[in-house]
Amino acid sequence: MPNGSSNVRTSRPTAVRAARTVALLALVALIVLFPSLAPDPFILSVGVVILSYAVLATSWNLVGGFTGYISLGHAAYSGLGGYATALLILRTGMDPWLALIAGGLIVAVIAVPVGIASLRVRGASFVIASIALVLIVQLVFQSWHTFTGGSNGLRVPRPFGTEVLRPEQHERFFYLHAVLLALALLTWWLIERSRLGAGLKAIREDEDKAQALGVPTFAYKLTALVVSAFFTALGGGLYALWFGYLDPIFQFSILIGSYMVLMSLLGGVRSLFGPLLGAVVVGYAVEVFKSQYGDTQLHLVATGVLLGLVVLFMPDGVIPALTSALNRRRGAASIREVSAEELANQREETAR
Amino acid sequence: MTGALFAQSLVLGILLGGLYALLAAGLTLYFGVMRVVMIAHSAFLILAAYLAWYFHERSGLDPLLSLVITVPLFFVVGYGMQRFLVSRLRPISLTTMSVLLTFAVALTIEGLLGFVWTGTQRRVQLEYSGASIEVAGVSIAVVKLIAFALAAVSLGALYLILRKTSFGRALRATTQHPEAARLIGIDTDRVAGLGFGLGLATAAVGGTALALDYTIYPSLHWHWIGPLMAIIVVGGLGSIPGAAMAAMLLGVAASLLQVPLGTTWAQTVFYLALFLTLMIRPQGFFGGRLAQRF
Amino acid sequence: MTGTTGSPTGSVTTRDLTKSFGGVRAIDGASVAFHEGEINALIGPNGSGKTTFFNCVTGMIRPDSGTVTYQGRDVTGLPPHRIARSGIGRSFQLCRIFPRLTVLENMLVAVQPHGLLQRLRGSRNPADVGRARELLARVGIDHLEHAEARDISYGQQKLLELAGVLMGDPRTIMLDEPAGGVNPALVDRIADLVRELNAEGRTFIIVEHNMELVMGLSDHVVVFDRGRPIAQGAPAVVQDDPLVLEAYLGV
Repeated sequence: MPNGSSNVRTSRPTAVRAARTVALLALVALIVLFPSLAPDPFILSVGVVILSYAVLATSWNLVGGFTGYISLGHAAYSGLGGYATALLILRTGMDPWLALIAGGLIVAVIAVPVGIASLRVRGASFVIASIALVLIVQLVFQSWHTFTGGSNGLRVPRPFGTEVLRPEQHERFFYLHAVLLALALLTWWLIERSRLGAGLKAIREDEDKAQALGVPTFAYKLTALVVSAFFTALGGGLYALWFGYLDPIFQFSILIGSYMVLMSLLGGVRSLFGPLLGAVVVGYAVEVFKSQYGDTQLHLVATGVLLGLVVLFMPDGVIPALTSALNRRRGAASIREVSAEELANQREETAR
Repeated sequence: MTGALFAQSLVLGILLGGLYALLAAGLTLYFGVMRVVMIAHSAFLILAAYLAWYFHERSGLDPLLSLVITVPLFFVVGYGMQRFLVSRLRPISLTTMSVLLTFAVALTIEGLLGFVWTGTQRRVQLEYSGASIEVAGVSIAVVKLIAFALAAVSLGALYLILRKTSFGRALRATTQHPEAARLIGIDTDRVAGLGFGLGLATAAVGGTALALDYTIYPSLHWHWIGPLMAIIVVGGLGSIPGAAMAAMLLGVAASLLQVPLGTTWAQTVFYLALFLTLMIRPQGFFGGRLAQRF
Repeated sequence: MTGTTGSPTGSVTTRDLTKSFGGVRAIDGASVAFHEGEINALIGPNGSGKTTFFNCVTGMIRPDSGTVTYQGRDVTGLPPHRIARSGIGRSFQLCRIFPRLTVLENMLVAVQPHGLLQRLRGSRNPADVGRARELLARVGIDHLEHAEARDISYGQQKLLELAGVLMGDPRTIMLDEPAGGVNPALVDRIADLVRELNAEGRTFIIVEHNMELVMGLSDHVVVFDRGRPIAQGAPAVVQDDPLVLEAYLGV
């Protein structure tokens, strides 16, 4: 900040708003142009994967960022979304896009009892239940051969005909993922501005206090979880339609869930675009790692070490770390400017 | 189910329950002293099993002897992990962030195991691997008996440490009321570190027992952490007797259900118990006053 | 807001309220009646169960037995948000605010919308923000509205907490040590606010150790010792009660 003078408070918000608009337009332009900029179909497919991660991380953040309840098992919802979509198409002959939405709704309903069981008690039980959920679904989908295809996996019919070639497929799915991402971001933004959002953020900061102020904490948390599960399932379903194949080990992998957490934490759970930023960084790294080192277990080590470092040293993420550094300087300036007297009084006060 | 089959499953369930009880006791220790849910517990379990296997491969000696190395090693690692990693977390979000941190440790261990020893399944072959003894029509594998004995002896030792030594008293005081413990002069940080070390030592013992009887591979720890977490929730987080009882109960239940349902479906009993407990009685069924306070 | 005074004993009333932790009875069969429309004080030595009593009344802790009624309605064991919405606001012993939300956002949390549409409505709508600013101005921290709550001083945080409670428009306000850890000037300011708000028809129940403040402020005093009331009445009466002296001085 160049000058902490008296006009800071009035000029800063407009400057920030303008910068934000420019950044947002640049982001939209980048996404719109990416398919034509991508040199080959492989890069384009990496783009689809990264957007898919961004959808999942942003959806995860609908519960993680607002309430502070960390779910490590969100792969359960994305995997169930994929399977629900595929099974609806295969077993009922439903239109693939209808099946995608129906799948999302089914998973949202499944999230209700999970939320009831795990959100009543604070802290550890939610994260324990989330891990248990992904493990149990993996067990069920591996064992229930007749219904899910079991360990052999499940082939998902393509929504576009065979006349649509691979690069064209990638491009269409790239834009579809972009639309879904936009919807998830819009939902996050709308909730953030709403009274519901005010209550949710209060839960994250101090749940007892929020409840004492009349916030129906349990209902709010459950709402956030269900909305999050819905979008996560849509993300999983759309990915399944693109990839065309489901395997329980991969779909219900604890690793996918930890990617969502890592991406959101790294980017910053309290900001709209944090998970997206995290998804671009981590998603890109994951893809590079896979193509460089192939099948080794090193990507587990890398994920583990990176997650550990973020948790230890940057639990608020990159974006909040930067903005709060800015805000603190700005906030401190505006307090000093308005209430030098207050500060003098504060010094006399005993506590902190 | 015939009577003999029932008896056989019951015995197997009890033997398995003993191992679960030991490992759950370790998880309970961490939660007690630090309110930490240690996801990496079972990853260390598998690590200990690998070390036992590797020790046997290289030296040709009985894998049980690896305990001499792994138990002190794990104790030190546990102590260090508490002092240098977990204690750095902010107290306000400790429980949640510790899950993430220990989860990260678990991923790292799994990855390193796969990197060093590949994903190939490993198994210790001993002269007594196939041996079994028959009691009243029930045949019990010797390795399972050894594993159970190991778990029972360790649990007994743990009980004695917690009940009879001054360290045990300090640890229990820290578990029940950290501030009060500090006021009467207990170095709660050190106690928490030692509690962590003790907890991780149970993983060393459990891992060695596991190596005798199981085929091991790097991602095996996920098959253990789920049931273990179910056990400590059902038992009421923070209560060792509660965890031990829940371990026995669920171990036997899973073993009995294995006959009509098969191994995989029988595993789901743990998760069902977990979700039912959270629905009906989130503070757990056996003691565990701590659960309400986390 | 004006509000009718109602019957003199129609506010928070407990009957045989009991709560144990382990073997210790923190509240031991407490039957207390607070007066509607008055400033009630709840005093007693440390560890006499005042805060636990607060927590039982506001639903943060479920009592083992006994009942809590508010304006004739049984509210025993209701979750805290239901009790808050029935018209009881409370502050916490060590001031609790939402540290990483701004002062204004802290206020907006306390809006109590009904129905789904109302909840999805924008939080920063002119009506809510206007009311929040009014209350912030009233306690004297409106110039800090954009600061994060963790950045303002402890005294300002106490005022913010009070303003937040007022945002929910409660008829009864329970304050847990409002004068704890703040400077004398601020104590006076808080006392003035309490008097003004009481004059507007709000009932107060205050836990406080500052005896000067209690005696100067309150209309009705309840003295707790070992989890139950040992004396109730006007400040002057309670002050001379031998039981009270015994409890405080241990004679």
